[in-house]
Amino acid sequence: MAAAANPRVAWLALPGVGFLVAAFALPLAALLVTSFHGAQGWTLEGYTRFFGDPFNYAVLANTLKSACIITVACLVIGYPTAFVLARATGLMQATLLLALILPLSVGVVVKAFAWTILLRSNGLVNTLLTGLGIVDEPVRLLFTETGLAIGAVHVFLPFMVLPIYAVARQIDGRLTDAAASLGAGPLLRFTRVVWPLSLPGVVAGVAFVFSMAVSMYVIPSLLMGDRYKTLPTLIARSYLFMRDRQTGSTMAVVLLAIAVTVVIGSALLARRLQSGRAA
Amino acid sequence: MTAAPYLALAGIGKRYGEQVVIGNLDLGVEQGEFVSLLGPSGCGKTTLLRIIAGLVESDAGSVRVAGLDLTGLPAHKRNIGVVFQNYALFPHLTVGDNVAFGLRAQRASAADTEKAVAHALDLVRLADYRARPVTALSGGQQQRVALARAIATRPRLILLDEPLSALDRKLRETMQIELRRILRAEGMTAIFVTHDQEEALVMSDRLAVMNAGRIEQLGTPAQVYARPATPFVMDFVGLSCRLAGTVESSANGLTQVRTAFGGIAAPGAFRCGARVEVGVRPERVAVNRGGDLAGRNRITARAQETVYLGSRGLLYFACGGNDRLLVEVGGEAAAPSGGDTVLDWRIDDTLLFAAPAGA
Repeated sequence: MAAAANPRVAWLALPGVGFLVAAFALPLAALLVTSFHGAQGWTLEGYTRFFGDPFNYAVLANTLKSACIITVACLVIGYPTAFVLARATGLMQATLLLALILPLSVGVVVKAFAWTILLRSNGLVNTLLTGLGIVDEPVRLLFTETGLAIGAVHVFLPFMVLPIYAVARQIDGRLTDAAASLGAGPLLRFTRVVWPLSLPGVVAGVAFVFSMAVSMYVIPSLLMGDRYKTLPTLIARSYLFMRDRQTGSTMAVVLLAIAVTVVIGSALLARRLQSGRAA
Repeated sequence: MTAAPYLALAGIGKRYGEQVVIGNLDLGVEQGEFVSLLGPSGCGKTTLLRIIAGLVESDAGSVRVAGLDLTGLPAHKRNIGVVFQNYALFPHLTVGDNVAFGLRAQRASAADTEKAVAHALDLVRLADYRARPVTALSGGQQQRVALARAIATRPRLILLDEPLSALDRKLRETMQIELRRILRAEGMTAIFVTHDQEEALVMSDRLAVMNAGRIEQLGTPAQVYARPATPFVMDFVGLSCRLAGTVESSANGLTQVRTAFGGIAAPGAFRCGARVEVGVRPERVAVNRGGDLAGRNRITARAQETVYLGSRGLLYFACGGNDRLLVEVGGEAAAPSGGDTVLDWRIDDTLLFAAPAGA
């Protein structure tokens, strides 16, 4: 490693490390401290109160459920997309990549707001559905979990597609040829060769999308309104309206723990799968 | 043989857009035979292999193995083993699981799978490597795993697509012999694609020299080397002298050709005035031999350059145009320095071809 050969190079990381410490490590430490700090000094009261309230379990379940649905939907849609992207060539691939990456430059607020317009009862989606005769009268989409999932999947999809794409393009097409010559039909070629080899990308995409979906705030705020309760909306309410910093930071720590568990779990799984083919 | 050969390709044709990759090709291979497809890159040999394997669909023609028509059958229903150029081993599986892949895909019982995997790994001398990840093996070992994987399912036929080209020279020569030993021991019918003429000569029972999507010649290595059917085959397999000329007379199976080095006689019949090429293998040519010249061609040329190859040397002579004149000399033989050199060789060793179109 260059840093080991020349220790002075390590100083180049100082600005980045300094920024991360100031912008992430310190606020997180403050968050942690706040969650254990009540009016009468150090206390576990925030956590006992949070885990003592059945309402919070319902919210937690709701948060995890929608995050899981969104993650699975992204995987189901994103997986084949990533392979089409990986197998495409030249101009076609450039166009598809652009179509995938360009929307990332549009803010989440804009995209979520656009969905409120599209999903209204007289919006484009319902006009299409009724116009094509798929449904007789407008379907309620806005302020439903279906509408939320549609909007969130749209926003998070690139974060599922890109890591799978990166792995898929590394998979040698001759491997499926070899599997075919050994008697494996299309299904076996997928389950025994393509899927296991693409797992590291799947794990990375799941980690991305799940951690974003479990902590999303803007999208449910716009597509579901105030009455929809997830952990992030409760956190925001504690801070912004209740001025209850301890409750807010307690829930933030719980949310963070969930996201970190999933990300670390994914990373461990990826490493175990990779060690199966040690370099 | 009057019966249909074990592998029978008839009228195979394949084009990509306007480009004809393979044109109306026939080939028959007997059971247990080792046949090489030899040709330059882009001659269609790999495409032909993929058509036999069922990985590419041909536009025309049929593929029959042991009387069974496999045309149109997808690769996974053909039971034809393939060893790919870069092995195409499954990187996420161990050596043993790679070899077992085909047996499991074909739903062999656990006991049969175990037996076949052990046998295949024994054959390639990798029994001790069974539990290792394939990515931890050297190139030569990976090559052997690929071979074991392909033969473990006892395929009807095994196809090898330049399997040795990624190995260094020493290892390649060892593997050539090893590969032949294993395939022979298993009684396997094999088709071997290569662009290396030496490899094809060493390994094959018969070899098919391919050029531009056609088989130019099919024969034993000795036949192809000694009696090349076309100038292309003569050039591609081994070294050769090659002189352009015009037929002066042709009678009683002997043709007199006028070349830049004077008259040369060659066995064969040709129309007077036809543009032809004469050739001779460099080891057939004698340098300043003198003595009786009955039944021999004799020319005088000026030595230009010596190439030393260890056990032998090659002496190149000054030529014009597309002509080429070289002689093999013993490694110790002093190269005639400058001046005119007299070369002679038997008329019977002289090869005669119609000049290729456009030459």
